[in-house]
Amino acid sequence: MSSRFRRSKQQRAERAPFTGHGNINLVPLVDILTSIVFFSLLTYSGATMAALFAYDLSLPPVVITAPQATIDRHEKDLLNMLIGVRVDNDKIVVETSGNDPQGQHLGTSQEFKGSGALSLDQLQQYMTSLHTQYPNNNDLTVIPSDDVNYDNVIHVLERLRNSKYTGIALGTKTRQVMQAAASGDVK
Amino acid sequence: MSRGREMRAARRSAQFAKFRITELNLVPLVDTFVSIVFFALTTATISELTQVVPGVRLPEVTTGSTTIQQLTLGIGNQVTLGGHTVMNTADAASAQSNVPGQPLVIPLLFTALKARADSVRQSNRISVDSAIPAKLAIQGDKTMRYDLLSRMIQTARWAGFKNITLQVNPSVSATTATGGQPAASSGVPR
Repeated sequence: MSSRFRRSKQQRAERAPFTGHGNINLVPLVDILTSIVFFSLLTYSGATMAALFAYDLSLPPVVITAPQATIDRHEKDLLNMLIGVRVDNDKIVVETSGNDPQGQHLGTSQEFKGSGALSLDQLQQYMTSLHTQYPNNNDLTVIPSDDVNYDNVIHVLERLRNSKYTGIALGTKTRQVMQAAASGDVK
Repeated sequence: MSRGREMRAARRSAQFAKFRITELNLVPLVDTFVSIVFFALTTATISELTQVVPGVRLPEVTTGSTTIQQLTLGIGNQVTLGGHTVMNTADAASAQSNVPGQPLVIPLLFTALKARADSVRQSNRISVDSAIPAKLAIQGDKTMRYDLLSRMIQTARWAGFKNITLQVNPSVSATTATGGQPAASSGVPR
């Protein structure tokens, strides 16, 4: 009486003429998978990857007081108003200055109490209406106080971006000697 | 046809029989295609991702433009540039500027940034004192104070990086909760 192994081997030998060309050779596949695993391990650095958002900062706008010899831009593209957004821990202040084409003074100051969601909503609403009123002006400067958290600054930038302002610059106060605290925890 | 000619034709046919292709082995072809598809999908996925500096808790926002992999300045407990530690953050905050008229410049960070900027200038053949077109991405911890960030930005601009971008974390939960509209309370600290 033949064993099960022998019978199985005999059956494979009988099927061989019919299935000889139908076997899949797995050796190259295993080779490639081994290469992939090897190089994956070799290049693994343990770094966390994520899809992040970015806020591009532009340089603060330069105020030109002297008359320009040649202006090749259309009047609709001319910046006629400077907008500054001061961010403190307890308030956000939007200040504008400049003149419209008719020479009318555009200086305003609008204050929003607090730095929470409500004041951010009011800020976005006000800035959206300001941009609708003066669509030429896409640039503004944000000037946060020294002790404002980076998180607060980012949320103000987010609201300004939602208000269709594209050229957002971060400014800082002029000072002589500078020593910053490391984080919001260190005050 | 003569018998000799038939025999010569039969011999020639027998000689060339071993070169005749009777079947095509498709296995290497399939393996190659599998590799190509694998690496194409991997590359497409990885290219949309950016490396996050370890130990930095980024602010979360609901809107912003997508970013790509750039030279990254990380500000957590350590200040890192391109993954290499430059200095301690506390030391950076208390560092005194050695540039007259520029009180915000952090000397050690300025040296590291200047070296990177100079290498970009050399590779792009840009003159020594001109600004470089490469962007510098800043990944800062959300508890960081603005005075430290302003020193970092000013130091980077002084080193030649005029294009600076702030990288933040997209808040997926806030976006889905408000149906794609900006959330009113997206982690704003009170």
